[in-house]
Amino acid sequence: MDEQLKRTIFETMSEVFETMFFTFLEPVSALPSEGSVGENLEYIEGKISFMCDTEGGVSIYFPRGLAQFITVNFLGFEEEEVTERQILDTVRETVNMSVGSLLGKIDPEGVCNLQIPEAKTVVDFSANLLLSEPGLCLFNTEFGYLWVVYKGN
Amino acid sequence: MAFTILVADDSETMRTVIKKTVKMSGVPVAEFYEADNGKEALAVLEKSWVDVILTDINMPEMGGVELLKAISQDDVYKQIPVIFITTESSQARMDEAARLGVAGYVKKPFLPETIKKILIDVLEKAYEHRMEEGLSMPGTDEDEEMDF
Repeated sequence: MDEQLKRTIFETMSEVFETMFFTFLEPVSALPSEGSVGENLEYIEGKISFMCDTEGGVSIYFPRGLAQFITVNFLGFEEEEVTERQILDTVRETVNMSVGSLLGKIDPEGVCNLQIPEAKTVVDFSANLLLSEPGLCLFNTEFGYLWVVYKGN
Repeated sequence: MAFTILVADDSETMRTVIKKTVKMSGVPVAEFYEADNGKEALAVLEKSWVDVILTDINMPEMGGVELLKAISQDDVYKQIPVIFITTESSQARMDEAARLGVAGYVKKPFLPETIKKILIDVLEKAYEHRMEEGLSMPGTDEDEEMDF
């Protein structure tokens, strides 16, 4: 992946998480090797596509603990008050904000059209599969890795 | 004296956060109405008068731009100021919104102070007399931080 784009993704994600959720992300510069990343965490996938000349998209894999934590911060509720629906909604909105903000930077002419975001619990999360993605950006959080996979055009 | 506010966003969580931010801003609110998209927002307008609309752009069924177009074509609704609160942050999108007559534009991610400042600016322009009639809004200093 182009280094400038990677830096822009890191900056954009950090801005969203710090501004909206008071949560700091630590970019991982050297990807871990296959097999060294535990796969026992439960993940929630948020994804959104965008149409430019061709279709692109971004998938973000949130450790469940992180998704719950940002939902609590976002709504200002107690942890036990937060519902599954609100967690998925927060993941959708985070993906929407992150990718919308990213497109604002890499597509200043507004050629690309953002689609509607989706979110679901991942039943077959595979870190090894994601490590082979060319558009992977990885963040370290206190809840585990946050995986961002960019598929652009 | 207090304002009725319509919040249109397909994210219920975001609507909750926006309502909370507005409440914290000190703007007196008589009632909040909510809509999941532009169509629902227009349905709210058919039944109730609202003083200002805060809307997302990217929503299913009918987005914020289409909502603004519909409002601007109606002799009564076109008086209602519309503020976009959106991730759509390219200059081209903002120029298009300005051409359509949007009253304010807040980019997500946003700081609560930004919504507060833009909402107050828009209300002051649209409802100058009501704002002067005893609206006492604490902390209208742009730099003041709002605690949730």
